[in-house]
Amino acid sequence: MAGNKGRGRAAYTFNIEAVGFTRGEKLPDVVLKPPPVFPDTDYKPVPLKTGEGEDYMLALKQELRETMKRMPYYIETPEEKQDIERYSKNYMKIYKEEWVPDWRRLPREMMPRTKCRKAGPKSKKPTDATKVASLVNSADVLKKIEELEKKGDGEKSDEETEEKEGSKEKSKEGDEEEEDDAAEQEEYDEEEQEEENDYINSYFEDGDDFVADSDDNMDEATY
Amino acid sequence: MTQAEIKLCSLLLQEHFGEIVEKIGVHLIRTGSQPLRVIAHDTGTSLDQVKKSLCVLIQHNLVTYQVHKRGMVEYEAQCSQVLRMLRYPRYIYTSKTLYNDTGELIVEELLLNGKMTMSAVVKKVADRLTETMEDGKTMDYAEVANTFVRLADTHFVQRCPLVPATEKSDTGSPPPAPILVINEKDMYLVPTLNLIGKGKRRRSFEEEAAGEPKAKRLKHTTDNKEPIPDDGIYWQANLDRFHQHFRDQTIVSAVANRMDQTSSEIVRTMLRMSEITTPSSAPFTQPLSSNEIFRSLPVGYNISKQVLDQYLTLLADDPLEFVGKSGDSGGGMYVINLHKALASLATATLESVVQERFGSRCARIFRLVLQKKHLEQKQVEDFAMIPAKEAKDMLYKMLSENFILLQEIPKTPDHAPSRTFYLYTVNILSAARMLLHRCYKSIANLIERRQFETKENKRLLEKSQRVEAIIASMQATGAEEEQLQEIEEMITAPERQQLETLKRNVNKLDASEIQVDETIFLLESYIESTMKRP
Repeated sequence: MAGNKGRGRAAYTFNIEAVGFTRGEKLPDVVLKPPPVFPDTDYKPVPLKTGEGEDYMLALKQELRETMKRMPYYIETPEEKQDIERYSKNYMKIYKEEWVPDWRRLPREMMPRTKCRKAGPKSKKPTDATKVASLVNSADVLKKIEELEKKGDGEKSDEETEEKEGSKEKSKEGDEEEEDDAAEQEEYDEEEQEEENDYINSYFEDGDDFVADSDDNMDEATY
Repeated sequence: MTQAEIKLCSLLLQEHFGEIVEKIGVHLIRTGSQPLRVIAHDTGTSLDQVKKSLCVLIQHNLVTYQVHKRGMVEYEAQCSQVLRMLRYPRYIYTSKTLYNDTGELIVEELLLNGKMTMSAVVKKVADRLTETMEDGKTMDYAEVANTFVRLADTHFVQRCPLVPATEKSDTGSPPPAPILVINEKDMYLVPTLNLIGKGKRRRSFEEEAAGEPKAKRLKHTTDNKEPIPDDGIYWQANLDRFHQHFRDQTIVSAVANRMDQTSSEIVRTMLRMSEITTPSSAPFTQPLSSNEIFRSLPVGYNISKQVLDQYLTLLADDPLEFVGKSGDSGGGMYVINLHKALASLATATLESVVQERFGSRCARIFRLVLQKKHLEQKQVEDFAMIPAKEAKDMLYKMLSENFILLQEIPKTPDHAPSRTFYLYTVNILSAARMLLHRCYKSIANLIERRQFETKENKRLLEKSQRVEAIIASMQATGAEEEQLQEIEEMITAPERQQLETLKRNVNKLDASEIQVDETIFLLESYIESTMKRP
């Protein structure tokens, strides 16, 4: 230790010879950069195993990858519109079989909207359904208003209009799939508020049944 | 969850289910369990997309859900399950070797779809097999169902947790999510299906309308109308059972390499006898007497009881301790020490990695430290019989790569270097973990490279696909040889060469992925079995 100091070298607290440097040898430079991304290897890798099994598994793997893309589980990102519409694109489209999950095995919140979506682009059915739904909705709202009038509960009116909005939105959604994104956001907020309201209702007006009931009805109408 | 694992999961999810699912899946892996709205909000994805993605992930058993107190449903990703996707080709190949093409297709369908009802699997597989057969020949449903039953009997497929049937009766307020129940007893119980009749009807139908799309659509509608006999009973591939099989195979081949074919056959017999009786995570198999083993040896194997006993003694005396002797009753009781076997195999893997990365002299030092447990630097130099300077160099190299650890033992409380012992050791568990982590990383790199290669040559690939499609359609319409030739020449010679190179590279990368996964499997099993020990 002391010897090192005397020779003007950086002071180490240990015997530098123990680490493999002879006396007087220059220490390696300090490394100030990360190691190379593709360093030279001293030893070349051993060749891969080959054989019938390996070849078969390789084929399986590649086939599996292709098959997976054709499964209904592969959700593609909506493509951006290209300036030039390519004729060849039409041929490359993959027709997937439809997949309807077993709703019994999934949480309830998974179900309604997804189903609605699935039915969306198809055709007549959704418009009918939404018409009915909106009818039911308006009927519901009317009934609610009546009942509210009886009660004369001022506080409720806020929530009512909100829900009315909600029902309108929902009926719109069936026809207009494209506008989904914008509506999505609103829908999201609205639903959240609904939830908040649920909470407040049950908190302040415990035992007041009809509000909770009509809420349920609203929900079902959208399903 | 390390970064490397997350990266790999992300690549795998993206390849199998597309970018949206990948986004949701990776978010769940990173953050742990989350409710639906939070996922949608945090990922900036529309609620619809999130729901769809979650449906897909739940279908493939990659995400589970749980109901919380306030009626919230939280979703949790199963990272280890995602990584299993790497092994799908191996599962499928194994079922082919065990149960032929039918077994292969059954497992393939189950893996592709996550979970399916038995009737759906049988139908699909029979259809697929019929397609590959010659005209007029068809696959019987009953035959496929038979293979399915065999797969279930050997536990390679199992039932998914069931939705309890009582749910419908209580009208109060249904829970926000079904609570899935596992019925241990029925896990491998195949529902009795009368699939034979259906198969026949379907066959005649198919023969009438060979390949006409109209007829096909018709067929589908009739299918849909039929009530499903095993509705709600879903099956999945039992990956743990496959792993057990892989492990056994590895042990058998290790014994064969170390001793000879006969001893490996004995070990194989022992493993087969305890396949169902021993849980896959047990450290030992059930004790087997040599008499039992003798009776269970394959028929064609002509070795006398005496020779068998000699072999067993030899196996039990082997320093690797794959086989242990647990008692003397019944002509000697023998067990297979599964944990020990895995540990030996993992150690051997580490040794060979050191050898291939740093050379045989480093491997000598590594084995030395492994054997002597703790060594001082001076001792390493002496025992390895390598010049001091080189030995130090090698030792430090391995130290910096984390294959070897350094343990300080101070003589005085001040940790002064001059009064401290520095001992080099190898901790197999941590070295195995480090190596496993590197394997994940290399697979992620391999996948990324493969994707890069395909992306670079995308135009060329699309062109060749198109040309192939044209040729195929022309052949179908009966075009002349000259015309075909002309179209084939649309791909120029250099392009063809480029395609060849691409194909070779992609094949190599794919093959490497499969083989790195074999190492991953071994290391994972070793770590798992070590962690389970009390």
